[in-house]
Amino acid sequence: MKFEDSFVVAASPANVWRAITDPGVIASCLPGCEDIEALSPTSYRAGIRVEVGPIKATFRVEVELTDQDMPNFVRCITKGEEGTRASMLQATSELTLRDIDGASTEVAYDSDVSVTGRLGKFGLGVMKKKAESLGCTFAENFRVQVEAA
Amino acid sequence: MTEMVTLRVNGREHPCRAGIATTLLTVLRDQCELPGTKRGCNQGVCGACSVLVGGKPVRACLTLATDCEDREVTTIEGVGTPARPNAVQQALIDTGAVQCGFCTPGMVIAATALLEEHPDADIETIRQGLSSNLCRCSGYRKIVEAVSLAARRTAS
Amino acid sequence: MMTQTMIAPETLEDALAAMHAEPGSMALAGGATLVAMMNAGLVEPNSLVALRHVDTLRGTRQLDDGGIELGAMRRHRETALETPFKDGQTVLSYAASQIANPTVRNMGTLGGSIAFNDPGADYPAALVAANATILIVGATGTREVSAEAFFVDWYTTALEAGELVAGVRVPAALVGSIGHYEKLARIAGDFAVASVALQVTWSGDSIAAARIAIGGSGPTPLHLAEADDMLIGTGADSDALSKAGLLLAQAADPVDDVRASADYRRKVIPRLLAKAMREIAPAREAA
Repeated sequence: MKFEDSFVVAASPANVWRAITDPGVIASCLPGCEDIEALSPTSYRAGIRVEVGPIKATFRVEVELTDQDMPNFVRCITKGEEGTRASMLQATSELTLRDIDGASTEVAYDSDVSVTGRLGKFGLGVMKKKAESLGCTFAENFRVQVEAA
Repeated sequence: MTEMVTLRVNGREHPCRAGIATTLLTVLRDQCELPGTKRGCNQGVCGACSVLVGGKPVRACLTLATDCEDREVTTIEGVGTPARPNAVQQALIDTGAVQCGFCTPGMVIAATALLEEHPDADIETIRQGLSSNLCRCSGYRKIVEAVSLAARRTAS
Repeated sequence: MMTQTMIAPETLEDALAAMHAEPGSMALAGGATLVAMMNAGLVEPNSLVALRHVDTLRGTRQLDDGGIELGAMRRHRETALETPFKDGQTVLSYAASQIANPTVRNMGTLGGSIAFNDPGADYPAALVAANATILIVGATGTREVSAEAFFVDWYTTALEAGELVAGVRVPAALVGSIGHYEKLARIAGDFAVASVALQVTWSGDSIAAARIAIGGSGPTPLHLAEADDMLIGTGADSDALSKAGLLLAQAADPVDDVRASADYRRKVIPRLLAKAMREIAPAREAA
């Protein structure tokens, strides 16, 4: 599944960069994200809870920042699995920050996610819709939080 | 957690253990020693697991064992025997309407129920009635012929 | 580990009490949807409350105003073949007759099907087209929700924890109206790629009233009053019909999945609508 979208934050690229590379900020903006902990300056671990009606899943994921060009670009690899269940998740994501006028920044993201196992069987169509709506909620929460800072 | 349930299958009582998610199909095959009912898709699509519950054809894979306690279950082993096949089984043999045989038990159950309801079923009714069951060998033509033969024999 | 139990109460009150007593319990109706999802490992109820013995959830009731109440435990087969629908209410029997296959229609129930709101299921769009009301019961009483408001999101309905679908009320359709359900599926009985449910009243060759709902094309059935209104006064193959189809296609939010791409689904919506309308158009006089 590929996702691509962008949003604009009324903050400088430096401020957006600081927030978007801060696991605490990410966790507070992403619905269902819990128990985030930093493993190293470039990696962290988190739990992500996703619910589609009666279908509920919690993934334990590890995120590793593999490439950074402060404050313009970051690439990360996310790998996770669903407890004892058979679903696996893997994603490669890229974030590009673009300075609009010094006081606002466009954040573009591009992510390629694969899910296998029981949730893969369920059909990724609805999962993609759900993920897109999570992306929108994240963008909105992030914007509000960074602009308020 | 598993509980004991007593199933009435082909006129005999079978004490079984079943958890909340244990299907009738699993219990029939693994505990009642009635492996004639086949596990195909496990999603209610293919019809290989068709059995009669209260005389009506249902999917054993979509029926929970614990939800069957007071119901009469009939499997392929209960509709006929090699020595005394029922009309549908005899017609399948006579027509040569069995290829790999995996769908056959489900087909027999579906056809038996169909002829019970429509003893004089015509080809169209038979095709509709068997549309719950998939044959991966695609041997439908012979199967429909066989059921039609069974209908004619039963009528005469 | 929570205890997992299956209980099969005889009364609705006992069923509701059991649902209330064990959070995470789910109601088991015919099993056609729930057990399939359990088999796939997608749903893991803590406990199940089987509704098979609850007689009050069965059967139908004719209302004085021409409406019909259908019990939640009504099997698809009964809805397809044995319900005395009148006029446009028949959209429901057409939809029911196209669910899965005859054996599954012996098992699956109205309440069980709609409680899941599967985007490819057949009842949701038909109930919206029929302007039906969903009757909900819970420990604290009963409430009624229009079909349009009942389907909330992907696999999500207005049901709260501990609540059950008790039944559905289908109002009388306009006298002389026609109900129809047009489904596009890879093979008969599969989930819909897309579907069109409608009630149409003709006045001669032109449409006097229409209510259209699109299924399989978003988180909930799609109904646009604007699209309905565009058809009034027009014929079975008018520009207005194409425009209404396009409007619906634009408003749809279909998924990309193994059955079809989102683009394909959008493309077929106007065509399915046109096909449905041709099916039910008054026969042309021979020239």
